[in-house]
Amino acid sequence: MTSSRPGRIWGLVAAEANRHGGQVSAADACAAAVAAVGVTGAWLSAADGADAGHLMRVTDAVSEQLAELQLTLGEGPALDAYTSGGPVLASDLGASETAGRWPVFAPAALQAGAAAIFVFPLQIGAIRAGAMGLYRVRPGRLSASELGDALVFADTAALLLLDSADQTAAGPDAGTGPAGQPEDLALHRAEIDQATGMLTEQLGVGITEAFVRLRAYAYANDLRLADVARDIVARRLRLRNDLGLPRDGEA
Amino acid sequence: MDGQLLSETFVELTDTMVAGFDVIDFMHVLTDRSVQLLDVSAAGLLLADPRGELRVVAASSEAARLLELFQLQNDQGPCLDCFRAGQPVAAGDLAAEAARWPRFAPAARQAGFAAVQALPMRLREQVIGALNLFRAGPGAFDPVDIRIGQALADVATISLLHERSMRHSDTLNEQLQTALNSRVVIEQAKGKLAERLGLDMGQAFSLLRDHARSRNLRLSDLARAFIDGSEPLSGLTASATQQQIAGAAQAHNQPPPGEPPGPNRPRPAPRRPRRP
Repeated sequence: MTSSRPGRIWGLVAAEANRHGGQVSAADACAAAVAAVGVTGAWLSAADGADAGHLMRVTDAVSEQLAELQLTLGEGPALDAYTSGGPVLASDLGASETAGRWPVFAPAALQAGAAAIFVFPLQIGAIRAGAMGLYRVRPGRLSASELGDALVFADTAALLLLDSADQTAAGPDAGTGPAGQPEDLALHRAEIDQATGMLTEQLGVGITEAFVRLRAYAYANDLRLADVARDIVARRLRLRNDLGLPRDGEA
Repeated sequence: MDGQLLSETFVELTDTMVAGFDVIDFMHVLTDRSVQLLDVSAAGLLLADPRGELRVVAASSEAARLLELFQLQNDQGPCLDCFRAGQPVAAGDLAAEAARWPRFAPAARQAGFAAVQALPMRLREQVIGALNLFRAGPGAFDPVDIRIGQALADVATISLLHERSMRHSDTLNEQLQTALNSRVVIEQAKGKLAERLGLDMGQAFSLLRDHARSRNLRLSDLARAFIDGSEPLSGLTASATQQQIAGAAQAHNQPPPGEPPGPNRPRPAPRRPRRP
């Protein structure tokens, strides 16, 4: 089932960054998702702990309104996605079921011009980086292929957000390398998750920083992430917390 | 086949789905019961991620070499064939399947398996995953076992639709992604606990699951709380859990005979060693 989807989507995100001539960022993943997934607009918010997060990118005024409505009303798919730890796919905001789910948000979103909303948490297990929202002016489900693409755009955005946070925390070099290496996304590996968990203990850091440090180590040593993770799980490799990095504030 | 155990299993499964429901934990129960009910040595449930890969969500053993056999099937193997065709796929003698699955067949044999079966998880026209059964000895699978296995696979499918109506694919996809992410949370928690107590991943998983059951917690909630530090699990130590570790250390476990099923029953610690 290995497909070229992550590589293709990485290409779309990089092309988006090229258009404005900057470094590839999570905002580019959000912007590139609109055309690729076949939606009207998108927004991206970065999470800060349990906070609903701040808006990193909106592709149009309606997206901005949808994101802000949820913050104001304290109700809507983004909050549900955070609670459930999975995407929220509301393909018809006018349906009675949806109205029952969000009695205030659903009519307000319809009024704003959205007929369908899809929210994807930017997450890797317990790591939460934010959320990406997509909307359509007409009701309609995402096809299987659109859903697969949207999930990979969200994965890409999650990695890019983590890299940018790493850059501010750990100095100018840290964020430049592993940013969205397609290899990171190509195939899920349980060893990467296990190694991340192990590093929380080895380094005495939270899960987000453990993952950032795992990827930074792989990049700095020009190794594949999956290989580094396998060595850690097999106890052939231990990472030391000797870089004087600040801890990321997690427990 | 034990008819009593079968009926108790279905009562247990439907009970579990009514309250305090955790998809991942439920699927683990399904794989455990598959090994108990059917003439198989190991079982796993794989879900098709719309991103484009098959991902294991539950297995009767967390032994790394078994999990690798599931992972390998993204490239080739009975689960991939089953997923693509939407039909059961079986091989009663993996020694004869080197041409069909050049990488998977030798890997499965090296892990100690001689026969394999994949049963589709179907929802209407859509195939969403597969139940993968391995047996140490060669030979065709019993048709009755296959029917029961298919029923267990169907229950696994239904469990993903829990809580909301089966209105359409949105619900299924939401639940599927939540389950896949929960599995990642559990892997992260396994790593953290394994590192802290000096355990292997299978042992760490057993401890987490036992603890969740004895406290009536959802496994994925416990895993998340352990990672964010709100559940320190300071009571769990390597020495206090020697017995459980001894039991969990078996790569392919076999339940003690006559063991009654029950949703919150602690997992029995000693398990009969079984080396295929």
